[in-house]
Amino acid sequence: MAATTVPIPFEVYRFDPAKDKAPRYDRVTLDLAPHTPVLTALLKIRTNTDPSLTLRYSCRSAICGSCAMVINSKSRLACQTQVGAEFAKHGKIVVEPMRNQPVVRDLVVDQQPFWNNYRKIEPHLKLDPTQPMPVGKENPMTPAEVERFKETPRCIACAACYSACPAVEADPAFPGPMALAKLYRFVVDPRDKDTKNRLVRIQPDGLWLCLRCHLCTEACPKDVQPSERIRDLKELAIAAAGTSEAGSRHAVAFKENIGEAGVLNEFKLVRQTYGTMEMLKQVPQGMKIARKKPELIKKPHPIEGVEEVKAIYRALDTESEDR
Amino acid sequence: MKFAYYPGCVAQESGRELDMATRWVCRHLGIELVDFPKFSCCGSGFIDEANSVLNVALNARNLAIAEGAGLDLMTVCSTCQGMLSLANRRLEEAPVKAKVDSVLAPLGIHYAGKTKVTHLLSILTEQVGADALKKRVVRPLTGLKVGAFYGCHLLRPQAEMHSESAEEPHSFEDLISAIGATPVMYRGRVMCCGFPILFVKEPTANRIAARQIDDAKAHGADAMATPCPLCHISLDSFQNKAEHEAGHELNMPVFHLPQLVGLALGASAEELGLPRHLVSTDAALAKVAQVAVPT
Repeated sequence: MAATTVPIPFEVYRFDPAKDKAPRYDRVTLDLAPHTPVLTALLKIRTNTDPSLTLRYSCRSAICGSCAMVINSKSRLACQTQVGAEFAKHGKIVVEPMRNQPVVRDLVVDQQPFWNNYRKIEPHLKLDPTQPMPVGKENPMTPAEVERFKETPRCIACAACYSACPAVEADPAFPGPMALAKLYRFVVDPRDKDTKNRLVRIQPDGLWLCLRCHLCTEACPKDVQPSERIRDLKELAIAAAGTSEAGSRHAVAFKENIGEAGVLNEFKLVRQTYGTMEMLKQVPQGMKIARKKPELIKKPHPIEGVEEVKAIYRALDTESEDR
Repeated sequence: MKFAYYPGCVAQESGRELDMATRWVCRHLGIELVDFPKFSCCGSGFIDEANSVLNVALNARNLAIAEGAGLDLMTVCSTCQGMLSLANRRLEEAPVKAKVDSVLAPLGIHYAGKTKVTHLLSILTEQVGADALKKRVVRPLTGLKVGAFYGCHLLRPQAEMHSESAEEPHSFEDLISAIGATPVMYRGRVMCCGFPILFVKEPTANRIAARQIDDAKAHGADAMATPCPLCHISLDSFQNKAEHEAGHELNMPVFHLPQLVGLALGASAEELGLPRHLVSTDAALAKVAQVAVPT
């Protein structure tokens, strides 16, 4: 017996940059069973209403990663999103192309920026050039070694994370969540011999632009957890390359700052991150804020029991520096 | 209702107006706050980046302090909420727990994992409740359109937050409605304020803040409100820089969550520390005062 259908209104983004001055939204209402994937609904529209609707798809099974788009303002796979739940939450289904990539036509975007960023991280194993792998031999890893990057191979390169990322949106320098998650995979691969260089190269105007907002992890249809892997990458980057960048300098300065009084010394943090000379540039804004908020430039009292905090640092922090 | 009050660094320092408003609102609603001068900083996400186990240990100590007093912990900052919740989650990993316990035990600190960490927003919406709150309103903020700005760490990662949907949250909007104002829905409400990279690449951070403010404005917001003092720094203290990046005026008053509630419960602007903001809240206040006069 066929499932009961309900009328579901769609608003579908349409734009052909060659012909249209501005995008428009086509409104179509379809009678659909609640479990129908949004992709199936779009294909029905294309078949029954408008054969010019342009979209990218292939497997219809959340494996190929082709049909990522923005559905009710969230970046996700159209084949994996069912119409019933979306209709229940929003009363309609608005379908738009992915963000942070230029629209080619309708729901198809130019993924070149996404792939360029992926290429930049050199997503292949770099073995020791002086010791070529003997032909016909394996290069095995232990299960524990594989465990370290068990999430990243699930990635289907759908670019939903890239579309959801506010750092990508605000700054073209940021390589995006997927590229960094993939980089992590090679950095912790024991067979890769370029780990340190990889960690050095990714830092200037790259790794440290991550906002740790976790929007990538939320968007990812395969639970790759890019945000968590980027966090791991930051800790590894500090261990490998110290505090050469503003981002690593700030993270380490913050850690040291708290180690002194247990509570943040805001003024000192600015100096620790920028250095005395660079801090001078911050003086006008600092003064502007301190006029309203004089505590900004006051030294806070250490917390009660600051000795406990110092003991925790002695036990755990030297260890990380020695690693 | 009684909580171990975890104000976090900013609310005790440059964001002291948040602490003032929190204490006023809690006093008014009969929520007892217990201070613990032993609390340390939560690490603000930065210590987690530099040394994740140290970050868990520092917060395990904080959680143990509340546990020792038999109290659950109340935060007023999305990032504190996120970091303390992260510590509770990471302590479920046996190797992390063993390591942290081995460092804390010689200091006489034992954390059994019982401390629940709850943000003031959830306490107001789930424990006090919108209906009870509504009854206490003496100055309904009728006519004021407010864009809620959640702050990332209050919502994500979803697995650590155990509460409402990270993708479609509504508690803040429910609260805004309960105090008589009109919530404004916009995509930026669940996005990032830019703060984490304010010290890494300031113009990018400012552009991100500008984007969210513009978004709220485009959807008709007279003001924004946030449960996170770090978002407040980005959206208010650096709004002039965001304006510079946006290339146009923003002029968006940004309230701390308890300031907005306090206003509806009858607190004065001074009691809530509103004059401490960089962007004047006067226009928003005028709107409220105008409609609040009983006829």
